[in-house]
Amino acid sequence: MRVKRALVAIVGVAQGAIGVLAVIFAYMLYHNFFNVQGLVSMSEENVPIYMLLLFVFGFISIISGLFLIHERLEL
Amino acid sequence: MSEPKLRRELGLLHAVMLGVGASIGAGAFVMLGQAAAMAGPAIIVVVLLGGVINLFTIFSFCELGAAMPEAGGEHLYIKVAYGGLPAFITGWFEWMSEMFYAVLMAVGSATMISYYIPVNIPITAIGIVLIFTLINVRGAKGSGTTAVVLGLTLLVILAIYVVSGLQHGFGADAFQPFMPKGVFGMLGATAYIFVIYLGSEDIVVAQGEIKEPGKTIPRALLLNAGLLIAIYGIIACVTVGMVPTEILGELSSPLAFVAEKTMGWVGAVLLTIAGLVAAMSSLNTAIMAQSRVVYSMSKDGYFPKVLSAVHRRFGTPHISVIVTSIFTLVFTAIGAIEFAAYAASFGFIIGYSLTNFALMKLRRTKPHLKRPFKAPLCPFTPIVGIVASLGLLPFMDPRVLALGAGLGVLALLAYYLSMVGHYRIRVAFGGMSLGIGVFAALLAYLIETGLLPLVTPPVLFYVLIFVSAVSILAGVLNVTTPTRNIF
Repeated sequence: MRVKRALVAIVGVAQGAIGVLAVIFAYMLYHNFFNVQGLVSMSEENVPIYMLLLFVFGFISIISGLFLIHERLEL
Repeated sequence: MSEPKLRRELGLLHAVMLGVGASIGAGAFVMLGQAAAMAGPAIIVVVLLGGVINLFTIFSFCELGAAMPEAGGEHLYIKVAYGGLPAFITGWFEWMSEMFYAVLMAVGSATMISYYIPVNIPITAIGIVLIFTLINVRGAKGSGTTAVVLGLTLLVILAIYVVSGLQHGFGADAFQPFMPKGVFGMLGATAYIFVIYLGSEDIVVAQGEIKEPGKTIPRALLLNAGLLIAIYGIIACVTVGMVPTEILGELSSPLAFVAEKTMGWVGAVLLTIAGLVAAMSSLNTAIMAQSRVVYSMSKDGYFPKVLSAVHRRFGTPHISVIVTSIFTLVFTAIGAIEFAAYAASFGFIIGYSLTNFALMKLRRTKPHLKRPFKAPLCPFTPIVGIVASLGLLPFMDPRVLALGAGLGVLALLAYYLSMVGHYRIRVAFGGMSLGIGVFAALLAYLIETGLLPLVTPPVLFYVLIFVSAVSILAGVLNVTTPTRNIF
């Protein structure tokens, strides 16, 4: 049980953090902070589609991660 | 200890200024010029016509607000009249329209500040949203007082504008020809300009905090509607009297242009301040209104219970104020102004139409409901309200309808998710995580073997492997969750 509690907590936090980073990265792409579009060789017309993908992935990861963190709090 | 409730702290002046603040947004200053170009000097009649059409729906708000003076406004009326899904969809559109209106006003305020001070627009807009969120968390009276201060400041500046315009005098043929584009030009301009009257409903959204609601709500709504007609009518008259209508349509800030003509640079600065005050006032009201809608929907079980928590000391739904402001902040950071404008208009119009339908239904199904105010000439007034609201849709940009349909689909999805229960949603997200994990692993494999001809930094392979491992593990843990922990 203790192992499962630890695993649920670590995976939940890691997945939530991945989701948050994906959303932040989407914002950075949109505003082109630190010339991030140039760094990943992305043309401006492709930005919306990558933003959409990153947002969908980010929010799914955040919600899934929150479910696990919630379970950890209840265990 | 009893559960804390919203406090009735807002008087008549607070309520009227909430409506004025919500309606006279910065957009009104620009739209008057463009509508003048569409209708010519008949813009004066157009503004009055729009105000009268608005009045028909205001009668419905008066009756329903006085009869059911709890927080939530339109969502509450539709819930009592139709229940279930229609109530959820109304609340959803109400929330969306308030949220996007708040975004619009926050970015608008920051843009106006940037004319005089070199600031970063998204960061300034975020700062403004945070300030008004704090004011709204600390108490309805605080946000009501803010609305009064901002509203009165705005009215004083507009009074200076009108007086200086009248002193300057009009051109000899300022109002000739009166209707250069004919009746259709006038009708098109009425449809275009009608949105400057939307916002009065914010009074009923906050009705759970209005003192003596049976008396105050109808008075506030009617006073607000009358005040708006008078303000817009006089401003239209002065503006058209000073500058030819075809020139007004080409100006980005027609009122500031006229003010500069009559008062010099002081006038231009004053009108920019007026625009800023109007935008901030609208933002304050929108933040308050959206939180009350979400609070009401949470109380009805559509949203998590925590959103209907009321702060013991401040007596405000602080969690819903904070959560709705977070969504506002996200869209403010993106700065999607055009999207926000369309979404706000569509949501307001849907709310207006459904309120009129609810009035007619409740007159039939609940004839004995205590009604301190009764809409005159029912069902004539609500029918005109419905026709006028829906009649605006064909005059709108087609993207408004596409966006409205998109928000509707999102509403249905949200309704379904709120009804199916926690366990099934969790399993669904577990499944999606598994899918993402497998896809990330496949992507990593294709990149590493060179089957996918992408030029990527080497670190991407390891990032994908990490994301894949975490997602697959999270998916398995979520899918295999024991149901006993959930129910």
